[in-house]
Amino acid sequence: MPARIVGFRLDPHEASWLEAVGLSCGGQVTVLRKALFGGPLHIRTGEGGEFAVDRTLASHVDVTPLSGLEAP
Amino acid sequence: VGNFPGITVDVLEAEVELPGGERARIVDLPGTYSLRAGVDPESDEGVARRYIDSAREGPGRVLVAQVLDSTNLALNLRLTEELRAMGLPLLVLATQRDVLESEGRRLNVSAFEAALGVPVLWVSARERTTRATVLEALRASTQDRVPTPLPRPLDVAQVARAALGTPALVRSGGSGGVDGRLKLFRRTARLDRVLMHPFLGPLAFLGLMAGLFTLVLLAAAPASLLIGKAVDLLAGQIHRALGPGILSGLLCEGVLSGAGTVLQFLPQIVLLTVALELVEASGYLARGAYLVDRLLRLFGLGGRSFVPLLMGHACAVPAITATRSIRDPRQRLRTLLVIPLTTCSARIPAYVLLIATFFPTLGALAKALVFLSLYVLGLLSTAVASLIIGAARERNAPRPLFVLELPPYRAPQPAQVARTAWRGGMHFVKEVGTVIVAVSAVLYILLSVPVVKAPPVPPPPGAPARTVLMSRSAAAWVGRALEPLSRPLGFDWRVNVGLIGAFGAREVMVSTMGVIFGIENAKDAPVSDLSSQIRGAKGPDGRPAYPLASGLALLAFFVLACQCMSTVAALRRETKGWRWPLFVVGYSYAGAYLAALVVFKGASALGLG
Repeated sequence: MPARIVGFRLDPHEASWLEAVGLSCGGQVTVLRKALFGGPLHIRTGEGGEFAVDRTLASHVDVTPLSGLEAP
Repeated sequence: VGNFPGITVDVLEAEVELPGGERARIVDLPGTYSLRAGVDPESDEGVARRYIDSAREGPGRVLVAQVLDSTNLALNLRLTEELRAMGLPLLVLATQRDVLESEGRRLNVSAFEAALGVPVLWVSARERTTRATVLEALRASTQDRVPTPLPRPLDVAQVARAALGTPALVRSGGSGGVDGRLKLFRRTARLDRVLMHPFLGPLAFLGLMAGLFTLVLLAAAPASLLIGKAVDLLAGQIHRALGPGILSGLLCEGVLSGAGTVLQFLPQIVLLTVALELVEASGYLARGAYLVDRLLRLFGLGGRSFVPLLMGHACAVPAITATRSIRDPRQRLRTLLVIPLTTCSARIPAYVLLIATFFPTLGALAKALVFLSLYVLGLLSTAVASLIIGAARERNAPRPLFVLELPPYRAPQPAQVARTAWRGGMHFVKEVGTVIVAVSAVLYILLSVPVVKAPPVPPPPGAPARTVLMSRSAAAWVGRALEPLSRPLGFDWRVNVGLIGAFGAREVMVSTMGVIFGIENAKDAPVSDLSSQIRGAKGPDGRPAYPLASGLALLAFFVLACQCMSTVAALRRETKGWRWPLFVVGYSYAGAYLAALVVFKGASALGLG
């Protein structure tokens, strides 16, 4: 289910990397799948790019689920 | 266009002639998403940033050409905005025109240019005419002035939407209208459902890799055999034409026995290069990094270490350069230090020779499985070394970040695959034709010139005159001097000479053994079956010189020892000093000696001695 990014609990250096690939506040993100045993997440950004993101890193990104009307 | 496996990690330069006769230096920089985000200056993105900064200060006119993927515009537009603000003329080269058009979409170039305020060229790198078009655009753009600052920050999503317009519909067989973009997404999603599945994905990955390596070895065997026969034929012709003598001996027992034996491994090396290029170009390599990230983290490595480690299976030198894509400096150093343990293609000749020598009764498939187990041993030693290095250096270090683009699956371009295979093959042939020919010839001379009147251990009674002569040679003298060190491993002076030769390049071991046994067994016509010659070799007591325990110890030695000067030089370049390259040589040789000792003693205790 798609979600909207509402904030980061990361240092600016880490947040800058996520922003560079389209994961910024207000942007959309969908978790497509999770690797086993705490492995990375496979995500899709609102712009259509797909990325593998470390799960610990992802756990510091705050999101809110998008309602049916908001979702693309 | 990004920073994922398969993208340049080095600075590549070429000089070209622009239309009109002016010359220009074109520099291909590693892919990056941002010039503002913090990076390690030694990483590939750090290198790109440093280069652009220095170009601004340097002499001559500088033009920045950003190559962006027109099927994924929004991702690349942040970098466009940053480049625009740098105060250098900018040209945007939007690629993948063929893919976008096949999806029934078009890039509205004029709308895109208006939004960005810089010239844009929409091209397909697969078309022959693209080169001339791009060169003309470069020529025109070098006259451009610095773009004026944009009144407000780019809304990248909006610019991308405006430039690409509404997706058109394309017909697809009889199934009705299907959005082409959606089709690409669906194909990638369908493949990912299996290949990225939490359970099936890792299994499919391991199966695919094991299958690929086994297939390469099985498919290459007939071609290797053909090359071997051709070398034999040539040696026979030379022998007959020149008759017995120094020149004939140097060419047949020296150069052809040495370099000719190594040349037989060309098919394996070319096929392995093709296999890895196919995996990389298809977009699957990035998925492999996702699949093994958790596993590699157990050993202090990570997803971004995966690609250099896999590349190391072809050659450690480009793999060492590829570590620049690892953003975390600690993880990068750890990867650099363990890459020399991966089973590079130069180990193939030694492994094939040793397996044929010590497992002569096994069938082709069983031999391939022994081969595969050597690859597994290489992986295990890489993991163990990484753990030991990590435990010694990096206690309580923060966990490195892992963010990696997963590009859509694409069909590899046959021309690109062929080019890579050609480059890999030519590199090997060049090495055989230069280094290995030279080493084989020098070794032949060192094995033919007597320096001692009587060897400490005389050859067995009735040995051919050439064997007696060789036992008094300079090379034999050095080999024998090392025997107190090597005897506990089951190696005699001949293996010692081979290992000395292999210090600079491990494949030289095969050519050295080829020369030694070529001389020892030279009769009317040269014999190229080196493995049966080694198997039949006798020690001074008349018993077999190399029991199975010696063969296993030699295999263990080759799994661990960093016998490659090119790797040492690459490590020096990347770590900017001698400390780490010397550490790698030291720990790998110490480990190789210890492993060979344990294997020889263990195998001898089991009755294999």
